[in-house]
Amino acid sequence: MSTTRTILICSGKGGVGKTTTTANLGIALARQGAKTVVLDADFGLRNLDLLLGLENRIVYTAQEVLAETCRLEQALVKHKQEPNLALLPAGNPRMLEWLKPKDMQAIVALLERQFDYVLIDCPAGIEDGFKNAAAAAREAVVITTPEVAAVRDADRVIGLLNTQGVQPVQLVLNRVRPKMMSNQEMLSVDDVTDILALPLLGLVFEDEQVIVSTNRGEPLTLSDSSSPAAQAYGNIAQRLQGEDIPLMDPSQARRGLRARMRKLMQTRIF
Amino acid sequence: MTLRLPDQRLDHWRDRLPDLLSRCSQPIVDLDCGDWVLTCSDLADLCAAVSEAGHQLGRITGQAAETVVSASALGLDASRSNTPSSRELQPNPVTTAPSELLFHHGTLRSGDHLQSKRTILLYGDVNPGARISSAADVLVWGRLRGVAHAGCEGSTTAKIVALQLRPLQLRIADVVARGPEDLPQAGLAEQAELKDGVIAIEPAVIQSFQKR
Repeated sequence: MSTTRTILICSGKGGVGKTTTTANLGIALARQGAKTVVLDADFGLRNLDLLLGLENRIVYTAQEVLAETCRLEQALVKHKQEPNLALLPAGNPRMLEWLKPKDMQAIVALLERQFDYVLIDCPAGIEDGFKNAAAAAREAVVITTPEVAAVRDADRVIGLLNTQGVQPVQLVLNRVRPKMMSNQEMLSVDDVTDILALPLLGLVFEDEQVIVSTNRGEPLTLSDSSSPAAQAYGNIAQRLQGEDIPLMDPSQARRGLRARMRKLMQTRIF
Repeated sequence: MTLRLPDQRLDHWRDRLPDLLSRCSQPIVDLDCGDWVLTCSDLADLCAAVSEAGHQLGRITGQAAETVVSASALGLDASRSNTPSSRELQPNPVTTAPSELLFHHGTLRSGDHLQSKRTILLYGDVNPGARISSAADVLVWGRLRGVAHAGCEGSTTAKIVALQLRPLQLRIADVVARGPEDLPQAGLAEQAELKDGVIAIEPAVIQSFQKR
């Protein structure tokens, strides 16, 4: 019936970049012309509005929509610069127990009527918050970093998603440090995909610009930034839309301009 | 009249109990537990179900010593039935007839725990953080990177075989060993078994797959 894609952004472990990814993917998808809504299911500790710079515009939440004290249009917060993107907080931080899986499904069903993409920012952990968020999702993107603990938690979450019938589940490897990877001080891309056995939707390199943009409330993908993370998020959004974009190669990333020039010289163009 | 619990291999007694109780016509019911190993809480649930159906429990008989002990602990009139329990006929080793094989297709992810009294054949990986335990052998047609426990009811002849054996921990019967630190040789299936009370890993031998 509906062609809306409802995607859960989850990780299990905290601090690996669920919210950052949700914000950047949301902006990137919206810039590519898809009507997108980001649903903050991590409303106990809500941050998504901060990252998008929409903190002061929130009046209602999905809670009021379901209680019919306001209309959905009133609760949806449109992004300032990117009209294709809207934010909906799932609930009031002080009424955590209120939300049940069926409420989440009801919210998402409402959103699916008018959006192409519904991105659900999932809370860390695998308790009720995760179960609520997962109940409404059709597909999922699991975020992990090349660390043993993050991979272990991601593995657990993938197992739970499989039992809930969320399909397909794809992987984003975040905060990759190419130099450490090439020195084998960090798990390699192969180490991670070997354990998790999921299709890799994208690699995002560690990038200081992410911290800057997070604090400013302007996701990297909002401007035509040439920072590696911004490009990576853009690529992930395009791959979600079904385009075939090659993955970044961490072993190539650290090469300076001179090395790139040399490589270009060696390439036989003529 | 006697209430006979179903055969362990066919049905779980909890599923069949309402049906069995509905067929009882007399107020006092004797209970034959067969070879079920019932704990105190199992038996308490059973008693509650029986009295809820308007009956009273009479004598309890069972083949497993554990069941009789639990029943006595609850103050019930319990005794051992004559037929010896199948577990005690062959205490060690646990036999692995083909029908006693549990086949599981799929990877066990962190937090999963696959348990069986039968030999387990897993077609998939055991990821770090996952557990697989069997009262008999554990056979993994894939990479074993989690925790495996063979012979978890005490069988010391149980084996663990995997295409790639790189576990966090191995257990056979009551013996525990940490997994090897180094990478195993590629393309070589390995097996772990007890030798002189320690777990030893060596290349898998074909006999280990055959019925002992």
